[in-house]
Amino acid sequence: MSEHMEALVMIRDQGRRLLEQAATPERQRALLDQPGAFDRDLWDQVVELGWPGAGLAEAQGGLGLGWSAVAELHQLLGARAASLPLLQTCLAVDLLVQADADQARHSEALAAGAAIACVSLFGPGEPGLPERPLATLTDGLLSGSSTAVAFAAVADIALVYAWDSGAGSPVWVVLETSATGVARSTPNVIDNARAMAVLTFENAHCSVLSIKDPVAAARRLAAAAAVITAFEQIGGMETCLHDACDYARERRVFAQPIGAFQAIKHGLADIYADLEVARGCAIDALAKLENASPQLPAFAAAARIGATAAYEHAARENIQFHGGIGVTWESTEHFYFRRSRSLALEWGSLPYWRELLVDNAAMLTEGY
Amino acid sequence: MNPQELNDWLATARNWLQEQAPDYSGKARQGLTMDEDLALGRRWQALKSDAGYACITLPRQYDGGGGTEMQKILFEAEEKTWDLPNTYFGISLGMPVPMLLRYGSEAVKDELLPKAIRGEHIWCQLFSEPAAGSDLAALTLKATRDGDGWRLNGQKLWTSWAQYSDWGIIVTRSDPTVPKHAGLTYFYLDMKSEGVEVRTIRKLAGESEINEVFFNNVYVPDSQRMGEVGGGFKVAIETLMVERYAVSDEACGGISAERFIDIAARARIGSRPALEDGEVRRLLADTLVERQGLRSIHRRAMEAIAAGHEPGPEGAIRKLLIAKRRLLLGAAAMDLMGPDALLYDSSAAQSNDPVNAWIEAPPIRIAGGTDEILRNTIAEKVLRLPQDHRPDKGVPFNQL
Repeated sequence: MSEHMEALVMIRDQGRRLLEQAATPERQRALLDQPGAFDRDLWDQVVELGWPGAGLAEAQGGLGLGWSAVAELHQLLGARAASLPLLQTCLAVDLLVQADADQARHSEALAAGAAIACVSLFGPGEPGLPERPLATLTDGLLSGSSTAVAFAAVADIALVYAWDSGAGSPVWVVLETSATGVARSTPNVIDNARAMAVLTFENAHCSVLSIKDPVAAARRLAAAAAVITAFEQIGGMETCLHDACDYARERRVFAQPIGAFQAIKHGLADIYADLEVARGCAIDALAKLENASPQLPAFAAAARIGATAAYEHAARENIQFHGGIGVTWESTEHFYFRRSRSLALEWGSLPYWRELLVDNAAMLTEGY
Repeated sequence: MNPQELNDWLATARNWLQEQAPDYSGKARQGLTMDEDLALGRRWQALKSDAGYACITLPRQYDGGGGTEMQKILFEAEEKTWDLPNTYFGISLGMPVPMLLRYGSEAVKDELLPKAIRGEHIWCQLFSEPAAGSDLAALTLKATRDGDGWRLNGQKLWTSWAQYSDWGIIVTRSDPTVPKHAGLTYFYLDMKSEGVEVRTIRKLAGESEINEVFFNNVYVPDSQRMGEVGGGFKVAIETLMVERYAVSDEACGGISAERFIDIAARARIGSRPALEDGEVRRLLADTLVERQGLRSIHRRAMEAIAAGHEPGPEGAIRKLLIAKRRLLLGAAAMDLMGPDALLYDSSAAQSNDPVNAWIEAPPIRIAGGTDEILRNTIAEKVLRLPQDHRPDKGVPFNQL
């Protein structure tokens, strides 16, 4: 086993044990009840395990385990419906290193888990990347607002896809959420455990990232987010399928377990089929992400669509198979029902990704 | 064989196909009757055997290829890109022949295996009956002792290629007084035996490979029994499992996603190309995602086999998904063609023509495990859910 593999196995196994102890249903219910909630204790513990820097290059203060490590950790998070800003850390550092060197202090703090990032990319009123982002940069100051953004409630820095009114084109800016002119509100959302907030900017000071093609960077960032989120979604649907099968073996009606009825069995087999299709798409997309392949857009879209559709299917039917108990606050099944929908919306919804996939269909078969 | 050797071997095989396949595929098959096409198929099978490409995993001494499972899978995938007359030998070489290799005597194997591998003989698989399909162990074709052998009486159904078969493998009920799985016995037999009558069944569409086969006091020597008396169910399951990894084309023989795109780009809805329509794009996106997931599963299975491991259980979803997808995609492409798709030329290639892709799809969802049985299998074997209510368990067959 390579040194990297050993390191990955170690932080993964430690993380799994930690999540089993710490990410309890009681904790999750408390988080869901409070808009903008964030599990700070859990975050502090994974920081000690080295999670934030796991995927980052050693030059950025990380462990150099790559995107596959981030994917594995997100699958663990998804399985427990835990929410931590690992992906956001990686995406932020990825953007910052593309820009000028004076962003290094942000990268170091992010890699060490000393700072939390959020990424505002998608706009309101549309499923995909906005042609004209809502936040506007004028004379170096940012005004306007974001949509509800995961981890914005606790982020120290925000990466914002904005509209440069001078240049008449999109631009990436970074700002500290404590800066003058930045305000955040935490509305009630369908999944309050996501530490969501809406950021509003009023002539806020920010730094423009010197990225040659901000639109291309936005697309690449969305693709990376889609692939890693697919693993979080897979973790979630594995739990849904596992819980539903457990319940189907235990719950008895008409003197037999409900899992003996074909209506239930076939429904669960269909979830399994969707899950394995999603996993296949995600595994292949992860390879394209790690290799920075030009085929990434189509593979990321397939991973996004496969995982999003399959997670919703699993989460929805898991409640159905649980019957009445599944619709109570006490059951854990709604954690996944909420999460599946929240993740379906956070990184662009399916109408956008389907367009991207169909437009790039030929990419899937290049070299196949 | 290391990866480099395997690559070289595949490159050689590809070249061989490039040289030889055109004379046996596409245009070479156009306008042939089924008998003529079968004759062409027999020649193709013999040619492959000479080159070591027929039954690649079976020993060279029987005219097989003496190669590995990986070579077989790679060659078959390559062969599927040509429209070759292979279909007559699919079952014969897929299940009965490997079973004969396991259960036949040396003399019988020396005599019969080369003939089957070279396409001179075809073997059929006599399993299903009118009242025993998904529930194979419910079969009733009777086997009764007669001297050194057995007498068979009853009927088999859905037997593919029986009309061309020289030999067959058969599961019979030898003891109706014990629970149904325990009373079965398995044989191979000469399909030209006295008392065997084959009647071909016309399908809803396409060529008729399926038959009903009647057994009227047919004699089978006990030397042709495979497995124990009463052990037939176990041998039957072994038969169905013999092919660990069946190679299937990703479009399930129907139109590919690319063919669908081609049709959608040329069709119009109002003033726009159909390819711009949301419903069309949604179907296409779902089709591409499913195919991509299955490609990944296939690739990982290949890696597992190459490394000497068992492929994961997720391969079980493949036929369930691709057969249904073929039906949906064929019908959707017909919708885009409009009333032109009412015209039906049964000789058009299923991989190119949406009409044939659609009209010949339903049997695929039934043969080799219905969609429902496949879901049951996934639920019970992979997800470890309980069996359905089974009032037949432990009850003597003749008291059911």
